[in-house]
Amino acid sequence: MAYVAARGGEAAILQSEQLHQLLNAPLSLATVRMIEASLPYLVDRVMGEGSLYAPELAALALAQTGGDLYEAVLLLRAYRSTQPRLAYAEPVTQTELLTVRRISASFKDIPGGQILGPSLDYSHRLLRLDLLDQDNQDRSAPAPPAATVSSDAPAGEVPPSYDPSPLAVADWQRSEGLLAAVPEVLPTDPASLPDLTREPADFPAPRAHRLQALARADTGGVLALGYASMRGYGLAHPTVNELRLAYADVRLRHPVTGEPFSIGRVRVSQCEVVNTQATELRLGYTATLGWNEVKCIAGAMLDLEMDAPQPHPAHSEEFVLYHTEPVEASGFCIHYKLPHYVTFQSGLDALRDARATATDAPTEPGDVQ
Amino acid sequence: MQAHELLDILTRSPADAVKRFAEDLLPRLEPVEVLRNRTGLAMLPFRETAQESSFYLGEILLAEAHVRVARVEGYAACLGRDLEQALALALIDAAHRAGIAGPAIADFARTQAADLAETDEALMRAVGQTRVDLETF
Repeated sequence: MAYVAARGGEAAILQSEQLHQLLNAPLSLATVRMIEASLPYLVDRVMGEGSLYAPELAALALAQTGGDLYEAVLLLRAYRSTQPRLAYAEPVTQTELLTVRRISASFKDIPGGQILGPSLDYSHRLLRLDLLDQDNQDRSAPAPPAATVSSDAPAGEVPPSYDPSPLAVADWQRSEGLLAAVPEVLPTDPASLPDLTREPADFPAPRAHRLQALARADTGGVLALGYASMRGYGLAHPTVNELRLAYADVRLRHPVTGEPFSIGRVRVSQCEVVNTQATELRLGYTATLGWNEVKCIAGAMLDLEMDAPQPHPAHSEEFVLYHTEPVEASGFCIHYKLPHYVTFQSGLDALRDARATATDAPTEPGDVQ
Repeated sequence: MQAHELLDILTRSPADAVKRFAEDLLPRLEPVEVLRNRTGLAMLPFRETAQESSFYLGEILLAEAHVRVARVEGYAACLGRDLEQALALALIDAAHRAGIAGPAIADFARTQAADLAETDEALMRAVGQTRVDLETF
């Protein structure tokens, strides 16, 4: 590939940036705070793909880029590269999660119950045009009632107590003999896991690399490949075993006392899917920073597909992990906007040569003109 | 109250309240030596439930502070990039472990813990109300 240097365009580049800002809302602290407070799922998506939990910075990145997701993720990753890694947190386990949503499509009755939590799954997908119409109505008209949480329980009845750390469905299945037991895992040094940010992926990838790559993968890319599996190009036809949205405490060890303490809570999501087509139940899994159900479901299905002996080429581990990396993929895509004049000129020269050669070539007897 | 329990509470408390409390505490702590006060990252390992293996979920932006007060070291970190919040937390940690202003710190922590517990309970009540019986759903 060849490029030409861009020279003499500084004024135009500055003007271009100013025009970009002019056509977006003014960048202000209020805008950043508004995005952080009112668009948490978008902020979560940027943090998950940026692989950095920093809601304030993700909101800033969204405001700064006018909501261009890939640019926002790139900004977050770039900022991350300026920061030293100070610590490895204590590993987060399922039992420590403060779970606010937990559903299973495999079993109706799961220990701890089905908890819808914050969700629009069963709501009408209708635009609230009445909000827009308020401009044209008497502003003194009473506002629609605020949404309230209701339940199957009759009014006034205290809902059953909720255990925020219910037993994992997979653990229950193991206890029932539905899933193979996993060997006991000994505590490991949190700093000793394979880390994609420090070493390149090699295939077949260690499971820690695969799950880390899926955790930071592009939601759209994971969905596209996962959807291809769901539509029939895949070998697995799984069911959602358990989907969770939760808060996780980030626990660091105090350097003086050695005791772990929480520096705060972060939003996490995870999904298990279960395949019943094999001779035994098999699970696929994906988790990510922030609340992002689509990515976790599609990623868990791809986790199953990647384990198949002869996966569809688009579901091989190398294909999935390389092509769902958001910064590399979007970066490669947008690099085509950069001047390619030399490359194109070279191709054009070759085309002209080929045409000239074809014109000059003597006609063989029997050739049809 | 153990030092880690104090930090568990105060790292989730409103930053402004923590800073104000540390500011009030400061005259009793002088001289304070700030050993470190910076932002950085913590990698978060996560245990999956399918094969019970561990992997890195992503990194967490944090602010940390390490101080020395009356020959006792204090340390704290909090989510985000608020260096003043981290410094305030580290000062309270140092004071607590040095036995300075013990009753005031305990009172402050109890108040904050009660507020946090109330918020958590309200959230869990709301979450509990979204429990569905799929036989009748």
